[in-house]
Amino acid sequence: MRIFVFFSLSLAFGFSAFAADEPSVGEKLFALQIKKIFLDKCVSCHGADQTEIAGGLDMRTREALLKGGETYGTEVLIPHNGRKSFLYVATTRAEPGYEMPPKEAEQLTTEEQNWIRQWIDLGSPWPSVKMVEHIQNLYAQGKTVATTGGLADEWTNRRYQSEDLWAYRPLQVEQVPASAHPVDWFIDRKLQQMELTAAPAANARDLARRLSFGLTGLPPNTQSGWPTVSEFSAAYERDPDKAVTNYVADLLATRQYGEQFARQWLDVARYADTAGFANDYARPNAWRYRDYVVRAFNQDKPYTQFVQEQIAGDELESATSESRIATGFLRMGPWEQTGMSVFRVTRQQWLDDITDSVGQTFLAHSLQCAKCHDHKFDPIPTRDYYRMMAVFSTTQFAEIDTPFLPNENKTGFKQASKWIQNKIAAYANQRDSLNQKIAKLKKSENGVAQIGDNGLDPGDENSLARIKKNIARHTWEREKTEPIAYSVYTGNTIQRVKVNSRVVVPANPWNKGNLEKDTILTGGDAYAAGDPVTPGALSAAESLGQMSMSPFPTEKGQRRLALANWITSESNPLTARVMVNRVWSWHFGQGIAGNPNNFGGTGKPPSHPELLDYLANWFINNGWSVKKLNSLILTSRAYRRSTQHHDLQTLLKKDPNQGFYAAFHPRRLTAEEFRDAMLAVSTELNPAVGGVPCRPDINSEVAMQPRQIMGGTASVYEPDPLPEQRNRRSIYTEKIRGLRDPFMELFNQPGPDRSCELRETSTVAPQALTLMNADEVQDRSLAFAARLIREHETDLAIIQEAFRIALGRQPTAAELGQCMTHWKSCTKRELSTHHEPPHYPTEIVRTVMAEKTGEPYNFVEFMPNFESYVPDLQPSQTDPRTRGLAQVCLVILNLNEFAYLD
Amino acid sequence: MQITNRQHLHATPDRRDFLYGLGASLGSVALSSLLQAEEDGSPSNRATETVHHPARAKRCIFLMLEGGPSHLDTFDPKPELNQRHLQEFTRSGKQQSAMSSGKRYFVKSPFDFIKAGECGADINSTFEHLQTCVDDICFYRGAFVESVNHPTACYHVNTGNRFGGDPALGAWVTYGLGTDNNNLPGFVVLPRTSYPQGGAANWSNGFFPAQYQGTPLRPEGSPILDLNPPARITRERQRDNLDLLAALNRAHLAQRPGRSDLEARLNSYELAYRMQTEVPDILDLEGESAATLQMYGIGQTKTEPFGRKCLLARRLIEKGVRFVQIYSGNWDSHDYIQRAHGSLIRAVDQPIAALLKDLKQRGLLKDTLVVCCGEFGRTPDNGQRSGGKSYGRDHNADAMAMWFAGGGTKAGHTIGATDEIGAKAVECRHHIRDVHVTLLHLLGLDDNRLTYYHAGRFKQLSQFGGQVINELIS
Repeated sequence: MRIFVFFSLSLAFGFSAFAADEPSVGEKLFALQIKKIFLDKCVSCHGADQTEIAGGLDMRTREALLKGGETYGTEVLIPHNGRKSFLYVATTRAEPGYEMPPKEAEQLTTEEQNWIRQWIDLGSPWPSVKMVEHIQNLYAQGKTVATTGGLADEWTNRRYQSEDLWAYRPLQVEQVPASAHPVDWFIDRKLQQMELTAAPAANARDLARRLSFGLTGLPPNTQSGWPTVSEFSAAYERDPDKAVTNYVADLLATRQYGEQFARQWLDVARYADTAGFANDYARPNAWRYRDYVVRAFNQDKPYTQFVQEQIAGDELESATSESRIATGFLRMGPWEQTGMSVFRVTRQQWLDDITDSVGQTFLAHSLQCAKCHDHKFDPIPTRDYYRMMAVFSTTQFAEIDTPFLPNENKTGFKQASKWIQNKIAAYANQRDSLNQKIAKLKKSENGVAQIGDNGLDPGDENSLARIKKNIARHTWEREKTEPIAYSVYTGNTIQRVKVNSRVVVPANPWNKGNLEKDTILTGGDAYAAGDPVTPGALSAAESLGQMSMSPFPTEKGQRRLALANWITSESNPLTARVMVNRVWSWHFGQGIAGNPNNFGGTGKPPSHPELLDYLANWFINNGWSVKKLNSLILTSRAYRRSTQHHDLQTLLKKDPNQGFYAAFHPRRLTAEEFRDAMLAVSTELNPAVGGVPCRPDINSEVAMQPRQIMGGTASVYEPDPLPEQRNRRSIYTEKIRGLRDPFMELFNQPGPDRSCELRETSTVAPQALTLMNADEVQDRSLAFAARLIREHETDLAIIQEAFRIALGRQPTAAELGQCMTHWKSCTKRELSTHHEPPHYPTEIVRTVMAEKTGEPYNFVEFMPNFESYVPDLQPSQTDPRTRGLAQVCLVILNLNEFAYLD
Repeated sequence: MQITNRQHLHATPDRRDFLYGLGASLGSVALSSLLQAEEDGSPSNRATETVHHPARAKRCIFLMLEGGPSHLDTFDPKPELNQRHLQEFTRSGKQQSAMSSGKRYFVKSPFDFIKAGECGADINSTFEHLQTCVDDICFYRGAFVESVNHPTACYHVNTGNRFGGDPALGAWVTYGLGTDNNNLPGFVVLPRTSYPQGGAANWSNGFFPAQYQGTPLRPEGSPILDLNPPARITRERQRDNLDLLAALNRAHLAQRPGRSDLEARLNSYELAYRMQTEVPDILDLEGESAATLQMYGIGQTKTEPFGRKCLLARRLIEKGVRFVQIYSGNWDSHDYIQRAHGSLIRAVDQPIAALLKDLKQRGLLKDTLVVCCGEFGRTPDNGQRSGGKSYGRDHNADAMAMWFAGGGTKAGHTIGATDEIGAKAVECRHHIRDVHVTLLHLLGLDDNRLTYYHAGRFKQLSQFGGQVINELIS
């Protein structure tokens, strides 16, 4: 635990020769070490709550310790006999069932255990509070941090190891020689210190793929107008620096750049198109926030403005439609209020959620820990948590009229509206005939009703409830094509029983409802109001970062605007570091500081702090331009290195965690890149930007599977009818919290409920099953084959093109031979194979369990999209040669070389 | 502070991320001893069974009766409700939701109860088969949760976190213990065709790597998604495709020494190919005797769906799967509870009894922990329904139906109690987190030591720690 003050006993002995009123060694040990260990690790169970003292052992005083507890009495503390005292034994974890502290992650270090033993050996002295303070003032190492103050003085006065406070200090900017690339200046210096040599530069093909995927999420050689791999290679051979600079500039100018960066930002923001939980209601206008993020990156909006708009776009003086849409960020987490939930509780759930998300997203601080107690490791008092929460206590949800911008994509509106309309109409028909049937059969119920007393089939009753619910759901969903922003306003909190339709802004937001009282909630309990607080932010960043400060407004003031200004202040030590570190991590697969969402003492400290500070300062001085930052990072030699190091043994030995950038880290494509790349090589990808979420083909069994929601079953998932509607980039597919696309899940797309700081990669066999067998991949292979045959004549040229498009290189002679042979044999088999065109029913019979009977019942659901559904290219539409080639293409899409970026 | 997860190192494409097939073949705790063995140069094929402490159970079958089965109408009879039947009921408290407001009345149980077995356990007489197993069961009446909403309560019972997003119990167990079969996942879910509220997040890997996610074996269609290629691609053609793929991948790998990630991915295709025969073998009940099929109620419409799942669960654990969760439902009987619960009980009664007897006769029950519960219990009262009164019950987070069998639990006992109307657990009362801690304990895992570093702290199943309920342990 780095926050502990490491104070060696020998040092303590060094002072023991002083005058008589000089504290004894034991007293010093207590004041400097033992007291803190007890407070941090023991007292929460042994004394803090007097009504529930674990094992009857109270550790708040020496007397109580001497008395002992239920299991161990006077043997807990035997002064002058540390080795026998159970207090010491328990910390060594030698006594089964009595390992203390119980949580292994909190176990004491050997040094700490020895302090306890030595303190007991020295007679276990327990100096007065005043004496402790005196000793600490004289001898304690480490640094106290000025904050708004903890719940207890011990916390307020505690000391931190200097290196744990790096994130709060002002940027320390080193001078870099004008001739040097700043990234390489710092990286190479460390390599020299480590006596490591760097890998050579990557070859042009690898670099082109790395840059193209890194900046756009798409493979090179698939987009017209972009430089091809061979064009880049030729330029790279002439002048590598210039070639990279130009290629980066070209890619930054594409629309796909904004999509790739938005996708990464939305991982942090947890974007989804539905609300989650029991109803998983649509959030019909959330897509406008997603597109806002794409635009922001493409327009290279200064990061400060990007932050301000997401936190306080409605409160800005220059508020626009665009900035109002941006506030959707505040509502990205899962949330619902049903008749079964208690509003005070769900409101608090959101307040906690947004406080923590703003902390993680913009300040790289997981604040959740400070909800119930002062932060155990970081200088974040509970008071700061509730001050930050107070910023949001006047923030209210609403779906607000907000005109469409000229650059918002409305082409999907017609299809989206049509489907919803058809769906509602079909349900209404079913409802009407059910109602007629029910009107005929219904008997009035008196007294205690038994099943059937009302004359109705319980299945019909269930169906009616389900239909009504789904009509209501789709009616809300209809608003996705309306000029409405998924947004917030500032005002009183109005108690709501349930939220199952659009909420509008009241005429006077301060009229109805209550202005929430801002207090600490003791133990995080929504009903346990403690000390009042006023809006504010992280006080440690203010004091250590020497921030220029202005107080936050209270009452009806613009609290979020104040927070946005606080975060984007140039003197805020966290903000620029956080974003620079994110961008770095998106390119290198790891941050300079290892946890992009956590710069606190428990996060991985920066491997190259000077570089992080340099880049943060550079970012600020370059207008907070993310595009410029990208150019700077990507033109470095560190980024351009090969993944293959000539001396792997030495590298692994000296840098086992590969944190020094001697070689580039290879990475697998993300889930979205996988799908998009397959669509790109087959030329099926519709490059349109933005718009209402599209519904691609997903695994049909998952699509058709009934999904329980509160009071019924959600409508079946129907893909959009036309290929160009379905085959959009993955960022534009509908993100349904209760129905995730299994392909995306399988390839490590994070769930949308928690902020994801960096993607994980796992390799599991079901990925192989899906990439070999899924209809969606088979379809891509066939379309890829058809495209190749359409565009090229000879077999040789076709295979060469397949490699060039998918892998950015020419096949070797051996590869060519193997693929040709495979193609021939597949084609031969296809000659005798007949393929029926697929048939798509427009109705589906679904089986669910009736609540009233506990028995299954069937119902029929209409699927309007399948009336006009046009499948992607199918085997029945192609000749044997194409189908044979499709199997070669399938293999190519499964190659490690396709899946990994070197 | 040096923070690393045993299993999981971020910085490099660590080979430990790639060793596994469908599931994690070795858990983190087991793995650390394996790696230790490797470093020592000793044989490294298997980790030891003992993990944090000697385990009472090696595996778990979790029967999830989703929807909120009524404890008052299954295993916790309240004669007092017969006295108060249809009398007005008033409830107060700060946490009022719409469900608990309005005019309410007491509802007696429409079921008959008997005292079964040598232990004299209380059980609804509709459980004709399970009543013969009660001497192997430990009934528990002391558990409570915090939410009366289905998805949040389901998340709570399944993952320890009401709001979802965290790893499920099965994921934690697999993380700790791994699986004994490299060709199968460590954590298998046998869902209903219709997924529960909250969906697949109920068996999520949460913040763990993906291999810890529960793998649903689907009751209809392809048991594992994309297990087989489209019908036009025969197994022989699949093999040809894989051969070409392997040849090209090997040539690529040869130029990239030390890339264990690429090698693992290459191997995963062969594992996938083997799974294509292994999974259907497990699902194929042909090899089971007619008597076994009959015992599980397979062949009768009413019991077949759940019976197949129970039999499958036994087959899976025999193959080395660590944690199997089976779903039944929907037990959300707000009305007509006699019909609804009656019918649901008849659907699961014979299969569950068969599972317990089958495990016992095969000597598996002693180290297989069987758990049965829902996400919450039900109220002793009900509100007005469609103009009249009906026998039904609302949601109750303060008491619930729960029992255990095998795996070191106290057979033939009923532990804990609810108050006289069954509204609240009062004796041996424990939060669901303590149940989680106890289940881990029985499996040889210590909740306080089974941690995973994520988002700034070491996370654990119980969230902030809990206690073992010793009363449940034999």
